[in-house]
Amino acid sequence: MTPRWIATGLSQDLPKAVVMAGHWQGHDLAVWRSATGRLQAWNDRCPHRGMRLSHGFVRGETLACIYHGWVYGADGGCKHIPAHPALTPPATITVASFACVEQDGVIWVAPADMAGAPPVLSDLQPLRSISLTCDVAAVLAAEPALQGQDILRATVQIGEQGQQVCLVAQEGPAGLTLHALCGVGADKVAVSRWVEDLRRRAEMKVAA
Amino acid sequence: MIAQQVLNEWYPVAMAAQIRAGQRRVTQLLGQPITVDLQKGAIVVTGQGGALHVTEAFGHVWACPGTPAHDLFPIPEALEPGRRLVDVGVVRVKCSPLRAVENFLDIAHFPFVHTDVLGAEPHTEVNRYEVQIREDSDEVWATKVTFYQPQAAKSAEGGIVTQYMYRVPAPTAAVLYKTCPNRTDAWDVIGIFVQPLTEELCDVWPWMALYDDVTPQAELIAFQQMIFLQDRSILENQIPRLLPLDPGMEIPTQADLTSIAYRRWLKKRGLTYGAQMVAA
Ligand code: FES
Ligand SMILES: [Fe+2]
Repeated sequence: MTPRWIATGLSQDLPKAVVMAGHWQGHDLAVWRSATGRLQAWNDRCPHRGMRLSHGFVRGETLACIYHGWVYGADGGCKHIPAHPALTPPATITVASFACVEQDGVIWVAPADMAGAPPVLSDLQPLRSISLTCDVAAVLAAEPALQGQDILRATVQIGEQGQQVCLVAQEGPAGLTLHALCGVGADKVAVSRWVEDLRRRAEMKVAA
Repeated sequence: MIAQQVLNEWYPVAMAAQIRAGQRRVTQLLGQPITVDLQKGAIVVTGQGGALHVTEAFGHVWACPGTPAHDLFPIPEALEPGRRLVDVGVVRVKCSPLRAVENFLDIAHFPFVHTDVLGAEPHTEVNRYEVQIREDSDEVWATKVTFYQPQAAKSAEGGIVTQYMYRVPAPTAAVLYKTCPNRTDAWDVIGIFVQPLTEELCDVWPWMALYDDVTPQAELIAFQQMIFLQDRSILENQIPRLLPLDPGMEIPTQADLTSIAYRRWLKKRGLTYGAQMVAA
């Protein structure tokens, strides 16, 4: 499989000084934003005893592991081991990092050596992320107007008006997540209801 | 195939008082279904191939699915007059039984996982302590362990430097000895007896032998359960689930000497149920 950018969340759901779980093609990630807003995506495994770093906590420009408090700096290198406060940790203790950029309100991840930028989703505003128990094929079957493979777009009739809808698909260990965007100026509440209805219809396709 | 040396060890399978009260327990041991119940006044553990070897000790029922390589380890303090023996109950954890034991041997996590109870920043330093594999008893021991604790026990008031000793007498059991807040000449004793349901699922039975006549039983149990639920939030989120015995997989420091010795001891004795031998 050729490496590609995967959407792992919306910018609005990751405030400063917060870490969350992310995924890239079967790899679990810890995606976090520092106190000054710097965004990073790392392998979700502390090198010490394997604890998920997505359960850790952000302090300033560092991410700390919740198990024994090992502190990792912006380069992924271990900066502090609380059990041995006087020790300078060896440079070999590092967490593998992924490429991570945000664009159009979407957080994108890819392998560290990924060339090129994520897809552009201009003239859209982020709406919400929603998880589904079905696959993308069921979503496409439920709404034939949607075009695309992992970026699904359509102009759909919501209420009186035609609205631009864009759903960016992400496959994770717990199933499918759709990161939804809508046209600038659209009625967010109405589009959000439409997305929920789409989920119900798509999940019914699988049950049927 | 489960190695014979694994089958020849003793494992906790129930709380004795519950079985004696007539509660039948249908459970698993090393991936096989077993039943623990009372037959003509005796506790019996039955597996698919028939009855297992059984012994009762420290409030719990222990079973051996193979041919016991030795008697169940002793805890002499359990017999000392004046101690209160407390069966805490069961905590089910989705992790390797070996990871559950290793976590019990670890002190460096106290300030971060049991914050303001068993530890607190900035008191995070783990001083050097001593670790040995005792040849006579074939047990892992850690001694001269000290740690600053804001509230070391239910009966402790205010912060103290607590002294600890740790002991691994069986692959899925560990016992700790810690400074007793009420008596300077004795140790409180806390054990965890881990029942390996499968390689990635276990029932943890904490048990205590304390000098504490004051604290109500329900409070002692609630305190210990709170501690173990905090540990569970860690244990269910370690990757991989199995305990890596390959030294390249994880990075220990001097604070982890007990864990290093425990892993070596498991590997040397071939007690690898719940362990990962080669990095995946
Ligand atoms: S597992 Fe992360 S600090 Fe120990
Ligand atoms: Fe703990």
